[in-house]
Amino acid sequence: MIRFESVSKVYDDGTTAVDNLNLEVPTGSLLALVGPSGCGKTTSLRMINRLIDATSGTITLDGVDVSSTDRVGLRRKIGYVIQHAGLFPHRTVVDNVAALPRLLGGDRKKTRARALELLELVGLDERFAHRYPWQLSGGQQQRVGVARALATDPPFLLMDEPFSAVDPIVRAQLQDEFLRLQGEIGKTIVMVTHDIDEALKLGDQVAVLRTGGVLAQFGTPLELLTRPVDTFVADFVGGARGYRALGFEQLSEETALTPHTPVKLDERVSDRGWVVVVDDKGRPLGWVDGGNARDASAATLHTTSRFLPLTASARELLDGALAGPGGTLGIVDADGVFVGVLSASSVVEAVQGAAA
Amino acid sequence: MNIDWIWANLQPIGALFLNHIWLTVVPTVIGLVIAIPLGWWAHRSRRGGVVIIGAAGLLYTIPSLALFILLPAILGTRILDPLNIVIALTVYTVALLVRVVSDGLGSVPHDTVAAAEAMGYRGWQRLLLVELPVAVPVIIAGLRVAIVSNVSIVTMAALIGIPQLGTLFTQGFQLRLIVPLITGIVLCVVLAVIFDQVLIRIGHVASPWRRRDVPA
Amino acid sequence: MTLFEWLTDPANWTGSRGIPVQVGFHLLYTVISLAIASAIAIPLGIFIGFTGKGEAIVAGSANALRSLPTLGLLILLFLVLAPVIAGQLVFVVPTIIVLVLLAIPPILTGTYTGIQSADEAAVDAARGMGYTRTQILWRVQMPCALPLLISGLRGSTLQVVSTATVAAYLGLQGLGRYIIDGRAQADFAQMAGGALLVALLALALELLFSVLGKVLVSPGLRRTTRRRRTAPTDTATAALTTLTAAR
Repeated sequence: MIRFESVSKVYDDGTTAVDNLNLEVPTGSLLALVGPSGCGKTTSLRMINRLIDATSGTITLDGVDVSSTDRVGLRRKIGYVIQHAGLFPHRTVVDNVAALPRLLGGDRKKTRARALELLELVGLDERFAHRYPWQLSGGQQQRVGVARALATDPPFLLMDEPFSAVDPIVRAQLQDEFLRLQGEIGKTIVMVTHDIDEALKLGDQVAVLRTGGVLAQFGTPLELLTRPVDTFVADFVGGARGYRALGFEQLSEETALTPHTPVKLDERVSDRGWVVVVDDKGRPLGWVDGGNARDASAATLHTTSRFLPLTASARELLDGALAGPGGTLGIVDADGVFVGVLSASSVVEAVQGAAA
Repeated sequence: MNIDWIWANLQPIGALFLNHIWLTVVPTVIGLVIAIPLGWWAHRSRRGGVVIIGAAGLLYTIPSLALFILLPAILGTRILDPLNIVIALTVYTVALLVRVVSDGLGSVPHDTVAAAEAMGYRGWQRLLLVELPVAVPVIIAGLRVAIVSNVSIVTMAALIGIPQLGTLFTQGFQLRLIVPLITGIVLCVVLAVIFDQVLIRIGHVASPWRRRDVPA
Repeated sequence: MTLFEWLTDPANWTGSRGIPVQVGFHLLYTVISLAIASAIAIPLGIFIGFTGKGEAIVAGSANALRSLPTLGLLILLFLVLAPVIAGQLVFVVPTIIVLVLLAIPPILTGTYTGIQSADEAAVDAARGMGYTRTQILWRVQMPCALPLLISGLRGSTLQVVSTATVAAYLGLQGLGRYIIDGRAQADFAQMAGGALLVALLALALELLFSVLGKVLVSPGLRRTTRRRRTAPTDTATAALTTLTAAR
């Protein structure tokens, strides 16, 4: 657990970077610090591993006050990932990852073997292991940065704008993979970002700071979307809050599906509307338009629509239904077997029913 | 120290000083004129860049005294001809500035070049009206280094008998007199400082958009 | 006698005044001066690069030093020191002092700009990972400083080889002897031969340093300048300070 108690940072010139901050990050969870530039989010992060010293207040890691521990020893217990990765340019990828374990006296072969495992864990192909940082793309460098931070298996991880230097597509991919990774490793993480969507996507909790280092709101992503405390937070969180909040909600398991009789490939289509096509095991392959086609065949099959389980987020279900053929979404069970369809209006009804 | 020596030799010292000025300025100017198209080529073509910058680096390694003596053998000039000095210094200046011009053009933001291209500037118009002016601060910085070095290199020509401020050094040695040496060194430094300051001024006039923070 | 005849005359290749001996003298002065200059400039450069102290003074005096005529400096020091030193050392000591003085600035600037050129993000990452200040210096900053440090050494070497030639004017051994003696005897072949040998020696040393750079510098550093576009004027001048004043 990482805990901030009345932490402030006032610089020598009198400017207050962080003002009386109180936060708690439970073990194994991720806190996203988010806010406009100059809100003290990076300062807050860097006070945890004492790259910056707090002026007043205490920061504790699992109950131990960081100001009472030796800086270097403290930092070696905390993984650190920064914006441009900050890889050592003169070391190969694998040696970058193995750098700290080697520094701490680890055996050369063992640390390298472990570094290769870590690279695999962060999804970097082994053929990149012996390249130098400049030969890697920004996204690949960032993966190495994460692997390096995990090299000594520290219980804590600090990430300063880890994904902001890469393009949006790579960023989304890195975020997804990071969520999967965090599911496996369960570190206690503090992440700084200026991107509210990234904060909402990755954070178990999100702390919104305003200029001057004052905490504006601290809560789960759903709380920020549905109950922003003031207009600053509401504006910062941005538009389409209600719709985005659906991303954190699920429909009741008892939500009634509309029955729908699917056809198999090469069967005749008697219905005039859109019909789901399934394989021999009942798993959906796509849709066929009964108004235009008489047979369900590879040529007439439309495969662009998704089929989702009822456990998907309300946002995904609603979006799937709105984009689906005839305004409906195909639903599958846990084994991927087609069980029925949902219309957009029934998704909305189910959400409203849960809220009532 | 014998200051009288200076008064007694004021006229020859003045002549040496003037000689030194033209032996420095002429090669620097010619060198710049040659270096601009070469540097542009080195900047534009990857292969040209490797060849030109590499050749410039090699030329620069040849000690000046050696070049002063080898040039007559190559060019067929007389060994006492000041032309050898002018050519040798031109070679050094080009060798130094080719790289600087290439770097300077490389420092022009891509957006600026792309914008000029989109507005319909032709290649040479873009070079003369957009890229070179934007590269001026870098080129001036290199030119300052070149001219200050040239002031010092010219003195070497005293060893083969070309009169300029370096002649004071050989005279001082022969006469076992310190005054000519100090006079020569001081005049060289003064000359270098004047050239340097003039170039800084030119740089300011030529790049009015830039704030005054050109590093040495 | 032509240049070719002079170069191929066996008499010039043997004896105490032969070409191998003079090359040896030339290299000896060069190595001694570089060793002394490095012993002074590298630690000082590390100090400046590491603490940032004294940087303004060094950067400011670098250009001023460039304007000092080496020939004048050499003769001046010789005249000043000649009365107090006896024997053959009267030529050697002033020369070595001047050579060391000339060799220091490029090595010094190469070292401290090299240390400062280390990627800030890499240094920050190392700090955050728990590297101590000395570990950051030796494991991150120094390896990154190596290319500029070597190019500083290269600049100093050329400067020293070149100036050691001039020192023959005072009476010092080395390849400059052929140039100075040849001039005195109006023997053009000898002069040109000496000049050619000096040029070849300089080129050979240049080659040595480029090989040294390939061997010592991590391949990861050969392209780093491409990635980060810092102030272009600064990079250009940093490269120049180490490259120039080689005469």
